[in-house]
Amino acid sequence: MAGIATPEIAPAVVQATEDKPKSGLDPGYLVICWNDPVNYMQYVTHVFQVVFGWPRKKAEFHMLQVHEQGKSVLVRESMEKAEHYAHQLQKYSLHATMERDE
Amino acid sequence: MRLIRTTKTKLVFHLSQREKRLWREVLNLYPRIPPAHQPLSKFGRVPDREGTQRLLDEALAEQRAENRKQVQSLLADPGRVQETETGCHLSISRSEAEWLLQVLNDIRVGSWISLGSPEGKLAGLNAKTAPDFWAMEMAGFFQEQLLEAVGGEGRRDA
Repeated sequence: MAGIATPEIAPAVVQATEDKPKSGLDPGYLVICWNDPVNYMQYVTHVFQVVFGWPRKKAEFHMLQVHEQGKSVLVRESMEKAEHYAHQLQKYSLHATMERDE
Repeated sequence: MRLIRTTKTKLVFHLSQREKRLWREVLNLYPRIPPAHQPLSKFGRVPDREGTQRLLDEALAEQRAENRKQVQSLLADPGRVQETETGCHLSISRSEAEWLLQVLNDIRVGSWISLGSPEGKLAGLNAKTAPDFWAMEMAGFFQEQLLEAVGGEGRRDA
């Protein structure tokens, strides 16, 4: 793995950060499912269908994205909804997180 | 374990004597994923990360406690199992099949975590790793049968 470059920060310069919390209703949060080698493909497809109510084809598309690309962005939602979906996926022991869309 | 009958609300499986014993042994292992194991965010860019994470951990812990109760209740219910000459018939509702999938996957993933979360094939079985490997594979076996029953063939690895 390549080394991590240390960013140069000039003294006395305050970096403008984007850490301002988004409103709970702002649909700026992504729900992401990450690959792990233990879950069955069919199980992941099934969970996507149950949690999101997706048709099988759409669920399979995202499952394959997880499998082949290491992750899939499942939905972009408000913070509350993203939390809800991440929790639902974790109930099924999938490796799912919510991340702010920047 | 094979599906022998379905109705709108119920699934009936045939289990051999050996499968019946394994079914009980595997389900009794639940839960296996360590508490507070699942992070809500990989990069931490969510407001009040610690508080939100704590709430999620509590919700998952409550869910697991409830599932554990349901598992014990299912295993203790004599009405679920009808003995046959070659094993038994096990009846479960479709909603029970759904939480049983969660339970079995917890056992499977938790056993995998206990094995050190290997990326590929397990490097070698020994006295220490064999029980976890056994639990992972057995949970996977029953999970595949349930998945087939609720609609689809079981295939590995996502």
